[in-house]
Amino acid sequence: MPRELRVVGTPVVREDAIDKVTGAARYTTDLAVPGMLRAALVTSPFASARILRIETARARTVAGVRAVVTGADLDVRLGLYLRDKRILARDVVRYQGEAVAAVVADTLDAAAEACRLIRMEYEELPAVLDPRRAMQPEAPLVHPELGSYEHMEGVFFPQAGTNVAHHQKVRKGNAKAALASSDVRIEATFDNPPVQHVPMETHAAIAQALPGGRVELWTSSQSPYTVRHLLAHAFGLTHAAVRVHVPHVGGGFGGKAGLGVEPLAYVLSRACGGRPVCVAMSREQEFNTIPSRQGLYTTIRLGARRDGRLMALDAEYVWDAGAYADYGVNVGRAAAYSGAGPYALDHCAIDSFVVYTNKVYGTAYRGFGHLEVLWGVERAMDQMAHKLGLDPVEFRKRNLLKDGDTTITGEPFTPGHGKPIECLEAAARAVDWEHPLAASRDRHKVRGRGIAMLHKAPAMPTNTSCAAIVKLDEDGAADILVSGVDYGQGTYTALRQVAAEELGLPIEKVHVTWECDTAMTPYDWQTVASRFAYMGGNAVIDACADCLRQLRATASQALGVPGADLVCGEESVYPVGERDRAIPYRSLALGYTFPNGNAVGGPVIGHGRFIAQGLTNLDPETGQGRPAQFWTYGAHAVEIEVDTETGEVEILRIVTALDAGKVLNPLSCRGQVIGGVMQGLGSALLEGFRFDASGRLLNPSFVDYKIPTAKDLPREIVPILLENAQPGGPYGARGIAEHPMISVPSAIGNALYDALGIEFESLPLSPERVLAKIHAARERGKDPARRGLS
Amino acid sequence: MLGSFGYERPSTIDEALTLLAECNPGALVLAGGTDLFVDVRAGRASPRLLVDVKRIDALRRLVVDVEGGVSIGAAVTLNELLENRRVREVLPGLCEAAASIATYPLRNRATAVGNLCNASPAADLAPILLALGASIVVHGDQERTLPLPQFVVGVKRTAMRAHELATRVLVPPPASGLRSTFLKQQRLRGHDLAVASVAGTYDPGTGRMQIAFGSCAPTPVLVAPIEAKGNVAERAGEDVARRVLAAAAPISDVRASADYRRAVLSVLARRVVTNLLEGGSP
Amino acid sequence: MTVNGVVETARVPAGLTLLEFLRGWLHLTGTKEGCSIGECGACTVLLDGKPVTACLVLAVEADGATVETVEGEATDGELSALQTAFVEAGAVQCGFCTPGMIMAARGLLRRNPDPTDEEIVEAIAGNLCRCTGYEAILRAVCVAAARQRLDAPLTGETVASQSAGGSLGGEAGSKERRFLPRREARRAPRAGGR
Repeated sequence: MPRELRVVGTPVVREDAIDKVTGAARYTTDLAVPGMLRAALVTSPFASARILRIETARARTVAGVRAVVTGADLDVRLGLYLRDKRILARDVVRYQGEAVAAVVADTLDAAAEACRLIRMEYEELPAVLDPRRAMQPEAPLVHPELGSYEHMEGVFFPQAGTNVAHHQKVRKGNAKAALASSDVRIEATFDNPPVQHVPMETHAAIAQALPGGRVELWTSSQSPYTVRHLLAHAFGLTHAAVRVHVPHVGGGFGGKAGLGVEPLAYVLSRACGGRPVCVAMSREQEFNTIPSRQGLYTTIRLGARRDGRLMALDAEYVWDAGAYADYGVNVGRAAAYSGAGPYALDHCAIDSFVVYTNKVYGTAYRGFGHLEVLWGVERAMDQMAHKLGLDPVEFRKRNLLKDGDTTITGEPFTPGHGKPIECLEAAARAVDWEHPLAASRDRHKVRGRGIAMLHKAPAMPTNTSCAAIVKLDEDGAADILVSGVDYGQGTYTALRQVAAEELGLPIEKVHVTWECDTAMTPYDWQTVASRFAYMGGNAVIDACADCLRQLRATASQALGVPGADLVCGEESVYPVGERDRAIPYRSLALGYTFPNGNAVGGPVIGHGRFIAQGLTNLDPETGQGRPAQFWTYGAHAVEIEVDTETGEVEILRIVTALDAGKVLNPLSCRGQVIGGVMQGLGSALLEGFRFDASGRLLNPSFVDYKIPTAKDLPREIVPILLENAQPGGPYGARGIAEHPMISVPSAIGNALYDALGIEFESLPLSPERVLAKIHAARERGKDPARRGLS
Repeated sequence: MLGSFGYERPSTIDEALTLLAECNPGALVLAGGTDLFVDVRAGRASPRLLVDVKRIDALRRLVVDVEGGVSIGAAVTLNELLENRRVREVLPGLCEAAASIATYPLRNRATAVGNLCNASPAADLAPILLALGASIVVHGDQERTLPLPQFVVGVKRTAMRAHELATRVLVPPPASGLRSTFLKQQRLRGHDLAVASVAGTYDPGTGRMQIAFGSCAPTPVLVAPIEAKGNVAERAGEDVARRVLAAAAPISDVRASADYRRAVLSVLARRVVTNLLEGGSP
Repeated sequence: MTVNGVVETARVPAGLTLLEFLRGWLHLTGTKEGCSIGECGACTVLLDGKPVTACLVLAVEADGATVETVEGEATDGELSALQTAFVEAGAVQCGFCTPGMIMAARGLLRRNPDPTDEEIVEAIAGNLCRCTGYEAILRAVCVAAARQRLDAPLTGETVASQSAGGSLGGEAGSKERRFLPRREARRAPRAGGR
């Protein structure tokens, strides 16, 4: 049913930008709750140690100190999927940087001073830093009590007596046999280091414990209702007793999806007799104490027929979960059912192990494991193409999912899934794939081109739901209330556009109430997984329909015309064909008043909701099932230039082609693509934690953990958004927020092979790593710098 | 709060020296503060008193004399230095080095003299100032002028005594037509400390080339002068690279391995030579 | 010191940073703390007209100085050309880096009303942004500079359409073509790049 759109699809600007360019937008640490105290932390210098003694007496003598709290005071374990983490370490510390004690004082300086006076005595224990070693039987156990931890049953499978927090299997066909009988086989290993999200606003929360077992929180979070639920559950409070406010949030990227510093702020407030307490991470703590993206070790085997048909994929993913795996287990799960790339495979075996180590722990990060697994998968696909003597684009075309295929979990691929092949072709075209790349003018520089596919679906429980409320104001404008958080993605703007379209209002008359509040804004699961525009959009459409029903009902009474004969348009309701009898929304929004004073109807408040459709749990043994509400496919293509003397990689052009279903707002989508590509370039070229042999993090600051700056912009970023509509998506839209960063490293790795003839297995592709490989190749008698000339 | 310390803002060098002497140890000189405050925050420095020298008129002077000699006062910021038209004309390499340091807002605070006094092996101004034959004037019990190689004596260590004040850097008048350049290897294009850096000057008249490098030894290192006249760039480059590597003693740290430092040091040395022989700054 | 045109008098401890003074004492919370070691630029303000990171300035050092923060950028509730350009170009996402970006850009436009793309990059490269990928920010500063120069406001659509398509490369390093319609910018030969 094609319908002319007025607002959806246009570049509407962010409503909140005005507050943000003037400094009026309030973030958590900008709030001043009367009587607010500040907290500081003591963190562990060891990766693994027993806490022998904590001496806090001197700390308590510092003027202004209100409370000193240690793990011994707190007997709670927290977690969303797997309850494995305490608020402060108790008995043992499991990573360097883990919080072991906290001090609350009138000022941050007093709290920090007191922290310096806390004497900790530790007995250092053997640490396990490599997850592959952590899987060996003799490895020290990071969580000896793993078998007793509460977890989401039937979905996650912690292995008692080991370091494996979750083992996700996917089995389709017979991968081993198909590999054995393949004409051509490759086997390769890859790895990714842990990476930080680096939101510009660090984690922060203010909590106030109130009388009667209530708590009020202001937090920099992506998930107000998840914070509420987990706190209520952990502390035995009713849900209504926990009120969570989320003001403006300065970036999240997944790092603020789970529980952050909220529980600590709450227990500290309790310890101070209910004074509000602000816990804000320093940048160093953001790196060293707050979770990051998990590292990954990949082993992948591919088999293909000589004609280029992929026969089998057999992969093992070993995740470096760090000391806690609460959210990491779900990354390991999602990346497994996506772990073969967007390819048609009859035979597939994937084992994804989420493994504890004594390092800062992992959580959700934009891409949710997909950047990591596709680093290996898409590099391996290129290796197979080369071995087959096929062009990497052609090889992929022959194997991408098409109508009639099934995914590796047995989900039928339909026209509604979008068109991965069109993404591939669009990306290839945009880098002029068919034609040879012009050589660099510089003698010591060589150029290369690479391409890589991507796909991702929201990783969420089968019953994920959300709601929206749309209220009409006296002037006929609409306010949307939701509890998904817009921390930059632009979803609120998209929701405004959807509501404006549905209600027939000009965009200026639709607003989203900024600040989520679990006491006021309706339920949403979490703002993660690129599913807010999709699910929230549907809920808003539903809520708008409810508003229109109420408007019609009131107008029906006012006009004495059956509701079915009324239409809504031009901000008014009127009988079909009788525009002169129109009643404006503003005369209906609070109820209609007849000339004699009688009134009917009442305030128009629409309620809408959406719940995930048709998802199933995955079979524990085979991974078969329906995990995805929708899939978003795409491709990246890059042209690079490598300085063979210094190892520097310059991005000449990078193309992102995504099948967005429907672009609700081209300005926001472009912002997501360019921002995502730049984050992907960070993962590809710069970023990664470095640890010393004892497990100490060596780069917990911006001095040595570098993220791209304006100077690091590629010469050209080309976003291409295809629109093959998603059935069930609002106006046919799918999520695209995470996807622009997925497979950026893969495309660059493939381009490096094209440029140098060298295989890269490890990220980041730093100048140092690239040069070391060039030198090694030279020692083997292959000079990458001269490749182009031969 | 950065800490609890006193703050004084003298208006003459003598006042500053008195303050430094009265509160010794414990008094630290504050110029731009871009290194000092980071150290204080990290607990690497705990001053009792900060002596802010930015309002001392004598130290705010940036003077380029008629022969092109440059005097850079201790309160002159990197941006003031590199935005000075005369300095850009006579010492382009110095401006390139200054421009490579940190970010624009930090260069509005950070000072050239501070960059040297901090005595980091990675101080970006040091190699070019070494190649230019600069010296540093220090006031204390008496005024003394130290050639730069004698000023920086180790990692984060200078030849200054606790109550002394470095007041200016002196760059001698460059030979007519002197070319200068500076190259720095970083981990990204955005602001970063040097993984390795090489600076050089070349006097086309005499054929004399001066090369110095940074981040590859406990201190920035000046290599013995090289006679480059009549040499083709490639040969001269190889020669210089060899000498530079012979003088280098890089370490492996979180920024780079010693191997990588050595590799890029040699590349930068060759590129610096090419730049110098082919006409100075690119 | 004078902050956004208002004379502020206070006795402060020497160890108090200008950032802490602005946020904690004057309640000007628009200026953000991102790292406290001068690496991220979130706390950029103008000190005597020049951008500095307020986390590495003592409040006492600013005694007698003029300080400008993001709160002083709009006049009588009217957004400046710079702010308007940020809003329209999609240069704001989470917004945490925005105040520092605006002040860094303000400092640039004050000393150089007609900056090249390279000069804009240099001016804001000390301000980290994790959301936008910088491109829209660079465009916003370009547009604001043009509006200030021309003193003739461009329409919102101009900014949006420039931001919504086309490539960076077409404009990079080419002072004259930044505001040409996309089609022509693409046709023009690329000048060097960065």
